[in-house]
Amino acid sequence: MFYAQLLVNGLVQGLVIGLAALSITLVFGIARFPNAATGDAMTLGGYSALAAFKATGSMALGGVAAFLATAVVSLLAYLAVFRQLANRSVVSLLVASIGVAFFIRAVLGVTFGHAQQVFMAPLSRPYVLGGVRITPLDLQLAAVAAIALAAVFGLLYFTPIGRQMRAVADNRDLARVSGVRPGRVMVALWLLAGGVAGVGGMMLGVKTIVSPESGWEMLLPAFTAAILGGIGSPGGAVLAGLLLGVAQEASTPFVGFTYKIALAFVIMLAVLLVRPRGLFGRVEGAR
Amino acid sequence: MTLEIRNVTKAFGGFQALDGVRLSVPLDSLFGLIGPNGAGKSTLFSVISGFLSADQGEITLGGRRIDGLSAPARARAGMVRTFQVPREFSHLTVRENLMAAAPAQTGEGLFGLFFRPGTVRREEAAIAARVEETIALLKLTRVADQPSGKLSGGQKKLLELGRALMVEPRLILLDEPFAGVNPVLIGEIMERIAELNGRGIGFLVIEHDLEALTRLVSRMAVMDRGRVLAEGEPAAVLDEPQVREAYLGGLS
Repeated sequence: MFYAQLLVNGLVQGLVIGLAALSITLVFGIARFPNAATGDAMTLGGYSALAAFKATGSMALGGVAAFLATAVVSLLAYLAVFRQLANRSVVSLLVASIGVAFFIRAVLGVTFGHAQQVFMAPLSRPYVLGGVRITPLDLQLAAVAAIALAAVFGLLYFTPIGRQMRAVADNRDLARVSGVRPGRVMVALWLLAGGVAGVGGMMLGVKTIVSPESGWEMLLPAFTAAILGGIGSPGGAVLAGLLLGVAQEASTPFVGFTYKIALAFVIMLAVLLVRPRGLFGRVEGAR
Repeated sequence: MTLEIRNVTKAFGGFQALDGVRLSVPLDSLFGLIGPNGAGKSTLFSVISGFLSADQGEITLGGRRIDGLSAPARARAGMVRTFQVPREFSHLTVRENLMAAAPAQTGEGLFGLFFRPGTVRREEAAIAARVEETIALLKLTRVADQPSGKLSGGQKKLLELGRALMVEPRLILLDEPFAGVNPVLIGEIMERIAELNGRGIGFLVIEHDLEALTRLVSRMAVMDRGRVLAEGEPAAVLDEPQVREAYLGGLS
C-alpha cells in the first residue's frame, strides 16, 4: 500500500518531468539543440499560473495563463535570439539558451522578488481508493497536464503543421526541398515547446514552491527523461518522465528525500553508457 | 517554357565543381544528364534546386529568375529534386511522407489551423485524395501505412518520385533513379516516368545506366569537369569524339 501511494505521488511528479522533457525533446528534434532555458521557462509558467490563480482562484485558468505566457515568451526568445543563431553550432545555441535562461530568471527575480511563494490551494479531503490517497488537487493537475499533452500530440500527429514539424525533425534538408517552409514550423515549435514547459512549471509550483530558481533545478531530471525516452521522441519523453518520477518516489525510502534528485543523474549516466539512444529512441546525430 | 541555366559556377575551396554551365531544358521534355563521376552533375542539381547557392550565373524557370529563391520556394515554384541515395522522412509512414510534401496548406500555420478549420479540412481531404492517387500510380498501396524507413531501395525511389509529384511540379530533377534498383523495378519506374511526362511533367535525369537512359530520354547533355561538353539527341551526343574520350573512353 505504501508503494502504491509512492506510485501515485511519482506519477504526478512524473508528469512535471514529462512535460519538461517533452519541451526539450521537441526543441532538440526540430531546432537541434539542447535548450537550457526550458527550466526557467517552467519558472515563468509557475509565476504566470500563480498570478492567474490569485486573481481568479481557478487552477484551470492558471494552466491556461501558464501555457500562453510561456508560449509567447519562448516565441520571443526564438525570434530575438535562436533564429539569429540558426546556422551556428549546437554549442553556440546551447550557450545562448543559458543566457536566455539567466535573463528570464533575472526578470522574474526583479519583478516578483526572490522570496518563495506558494499556491494557497484550499485544503480538501483526499479520495481514498483501496487505501491510496489521491487529492482532488492532484487530479486537477493531472487533468491540466493531460489536456496539454493531448493538445500537443493531437497537433503533432493529426494536423498539417504537426506533420511538417515531424518531417523537419526527421530530415530537415529533405523538408526544405519538399517545399516545407521552416519559419512556420519554428513558430509552431516554440509556441508548443514553451506552452508545455509552462504547464509543467505550473504543476511544479503547485506541488512545491514558486521561486526564481525552482525551474532551473528541474533541468537535470528533465534532460534525463528526454535522453531516456530517446531524444527527439515526444512519446518517449513523456513515458520516461513518468518512469523517472515513479523511480524517484520509489527510491525515497531507501536513499532519503535529499538524494532522490541524484537518482536522475545516475539514471542519465547509466542510459548514456548502456543505451545512448534511449529506451524508445532512434539513431540520431547532432553536429 | 524552359529551365535556363546560364554561366553557373560553383567552387568548393579550390575545386571548381561547376565552371560556367549553360543548359536549356524544355519543361515538358525527358532530358538526360550524363558524365563521369565528379563531373558536377549532382552539384548542378543542388544549385538548381537551391540546396547550394551558385557563386555566379543565372537560373530561370519558365522565364522567372529563381536563383535568388530559397529551396522551399523553388519547390513551390514547380521544380523538385530527388536524391542519388534516396531520402525519406523515415519515421513517417509512406502516406505521411506524401502528405507532408503537399504545398500551400492553410493548416501549416497555427493561425489557419485554429481560425480556418473548414478550409483546413477541405484541403486535407483534397490532399488525401491526391496522395491516394499517387500511391495507386506508384503501386505503393501495400506499404502505404508502413514507416518509410522500412521500404526497399526501389520502393524508396518510387516514394521519392511520389513526394516530388505532390508538389505538382513542372519539372522533376531525378538523381540516378535506377541506381541499386532491380531490373524489374527499373522498367516499372521508367513506365511511370514516361506516363507522367505524357501528362506534361518534365524530367531532367542524371543516370549512369546509359542503356536505360537512352531508351527513356529524347535529349541529353554530357558534363565533364564542371562544363557541358555536348548536348543533343542521345545517339548523336554519344558519338561525339570528345564525349567518347571524356566519358566512354574510361568505360570500354
